[in-house]
Amino acid sequence: YTTISLEPKASSDPVMKKTKTLVASISTLYRRTYPSTSPCNPLATIASIRSQTQLPRESLQHYSSAEALARRLRCSGRVFSSDSGAGKRVSGCWNCGEKAAFLFCESCRSIQPVDDSVDYFQIFGLEKKYEIEPGSLEGKYKDWQKKLHPDLVHNKSQKERDYAAEQSAKVTEACRTLTKRLSRAMYIMKLSGINVNEEETITDPTLLMEIMELREAISEADGSEALNQIQSQVQEKLKQWSDSFVEAFESQRFDEAVKCIQRMTYYERACEEIVKKL
Amino acid sequence: MMMMLRQTTRKACLGLRASPLGLGRRLYHENVIDHFENPRNVGSFNRNDPDVGTGLVGAPSCGDLMSLQIKVDDSGQIIDTRFKTFGCGSAIASSSVASEWIKGKTIEESLTIKNAEIAKHLRLPPVKLHCSMLAEDAIKSAVRDYKEKRAKANAAAEEETVEA
Repeated sequence: YTTISLEPKASSDPVMKKTKTLVASISTLYRRTYPSTSPCNPLATIASIRSQTQLPRESLQHYSSAEALARRLRCSGRVFSSDSGAGKRVSGCWNCGEKAAFLFCESCRSIQPVDDSVDYFQIFGLEKKYEIEPGSLEGKYKDWQKKLHPDLVHNKSQKERDYAAEQSAKVTEACRTLTKRLSRAMYIMKLSGINVNEEETITDPTLLMEIMELREAISEADGSEALNQIQSQVQEKLKQWSDSFVEAFESQRFDEAVKCIQRMTYYERACEEIVKKL
Repeated sequence: MMMMLRQTTRKACLGLRASPLGLGRRLYHENVIDHFENPRNVGSFNRNDPDVGTGLVGAPSCGDLMSLQIKVDDSGQIIDTRFKTFGCGSAIASSSVASEWIKGKTIEESLTIKNAEIAKHLRLPPVKLHCSMLAEDAIKSAVRDYKEKRAKANAAAEEETVEA
């Protein structure tokens, strides 16, 4: 029967090596003691072995990393290599074991379960930055839905239909988030670990007065001409602050970036108000 | 000024009645609807009046904007209030309630009003609690503005007496 061989790619890290040999030894140990059961879930095997055998103390500290590693290695009894965490997670397709199955496996055409570590930019094959080409989302979005949409998988297993529903929803959410400037800005801040949506009230008089006057002008505006004029002004401001955001974000001035986002939120609300009135 | 808010109120009101907030049973409490349909104290005072304090606060997460103005007499009692809020129904109701409650109180007493009380009165759901927080901050901001104005006025008056 097959053994799992772990090829440590570029891991000169001794801890990683130990972990991998540990997992390897545990798996082979498991196979020797229970040869009949199918070795599908190394996580379960490690858990059961933990309760039964007594492993040396030095390996105890590697448990959590071993479990994490095991979780990443969804084995289907085939030989595979582990990625030391550079970029996308490379795990085998649950159906055929094909290596590079990103959302969807090309070789057996089965939909993969949702991987939370994949971010929206990766789905569309874009770099993780704020500026994107306007048309780059649409085409890719349609491509993905042709492969992932739940309506296309009626004759497949329940599990795969569930995967389809989740993946399709995630792709839709990704497209929606990345299309609008403001949500894209907030998402990219979130990816960098900065939480924008704090519940603190702001009392900056200059900003608030400006927005107050803007909103009053909108409510007092009579007729679509005046409204359109205001709208173009607001769009200008949005563009201006969007550019400021990029600058602030790229120079890591995150407080300023947050302020830009706040302003953009207010301008977007004003735009919505205008659209409602039109 | 009243017209504008009435118009938006009427339009939004139909929306409130026709479609309940959220799924199924979640509706606006009658207090909220009351304040929304019959808003008290909408409008504004002249910012530059010496006995007027203006509180201007915003909630950046949802883009709400609240302005609360107080008119204070010489004994430190709030004799009149005006508010203007751009935001959701809960925000408007919160500021309306706040403007009503502080009328007749002294400025120190008005600072004791807590957002929890406003939220309880309006039965605000958790997602709307920040609206009541905004109202409390608006009161504090108005009082602070008034006190600063008085301090400046007193300082100027003292300078004049010294020079004279």
